[in-house]
Amino acid sequence: MTRFISRTEAIEKLNALLAEELEAAIRYLHLSSMVQGIDRLIVQKVLQENHDETIEHAQQVSEKILQLGGNPTPRIQLDLDGRRYSGPQAIAEALIFEQAALDGYRDLLDHVDGSGDVVLEEFARQQVAVESEHVAQLQMLLVEAPVGDQ
Amino acid sequence: MSDWREFEQNPVSHSAAHHLTTIQWLLDDQGYARVSDVARHLGITRGSVSVTLKGLRQRGLVVEDDHKHLSLSEQGVQIARGIRTKRILIQALFREVLGVPDEVAEQDACKVEHLISDQTAEATGGFLVGLEKISSDSQWTHLLESLQRLAAATPTSFPGNETQELALRLEKKDPQGEDQPS
Repeated sequence: MTRFISRTEAIEKLNALLAEELEAAIRYLHLSSMVQGIDRLIVQKVLQENHDETIEHAQQVSEKILQLGGNPTPRIQLDLDGRRYSGPQAIAEALIFEQAALDGYRDLLDHVDGSGDVVLEEFARQQVAVESEHVAQLQMLLVEAPVGDQ
Repeated sequence: MSDWREFEQNPVSHSAAHHLTTIQWLLDDQGYARVSDVARHLGITRGSVSVTLKGLRQRGLVVEDDHKHLSLSEQGVQIARGIRTKRILIQALFREVLGVPDEVAEQDACKVEHLISDQTAEATGGFLVGLEKISSDSQWTHLLESLQRLAAATPTSFPGNETQELALRLEKKDPQGEDQPS
């Protein structure tokens, strides 16, 4: 089935994804500050790396919006509390918004797949792959190996 | 007085209240609710919705099935219904009695819908029911018209002198005799 996505609709969806990425970046930054306990040594680094990658994604989405002739206008509304997180809690929280971003890119791919906009389709496909990997990595960090299992 | 601490005792935050009422509205309107629908309706990101829903799921107010479709638990329905009813009552009070424009009444009702007690909401409902019964009384009609005229004029600054003087008079009459800010 041939699909069609208008330029305005594509820009709207990309702006929603830009907001997802920027919010995720701020959340990563916040989580990396609020993580405590012995896990902080490792988890803080993971969160900071993910923050940097998320900023890169946001830049890529912004570029894509500009290429389509639109303006990056993300609507961000964040209310972060001062809760402290253990390492696994921080990873579990990150998994929630990474999964949300992945769902957003999947939604974009659903709309552009077969629409004839090869560049946007390829971009969406690539982002789905990258975000899927992020989600899988975070999921692996949450899995505990059974005691004595070598 | 420590009334302000009551804010922290509320069963749901402002954001959570909107999530619950939105899920209920989507279920009534289209028969299903997903994270993306809630995000679109509230004009926020899927990430924000997902993070809020995590807390609501843990509290047993929201349920997510294997297809990622959302629904409310019995307790969630009760809270959502209560918030919606309070919003309607307060909006009606502001609009019908004070004569505040409907748009402003709706916005202000939205700000307090999850904060006022059930007792005050019931009393508001009772007042509005009573008002319906006596609306034909000419003195009431005259009073309501005066109030509506006042409300129609957008204040340049709040409180105006008259309102400030009234507040001071009322504060002195406080039966509790408490004069500290809440």
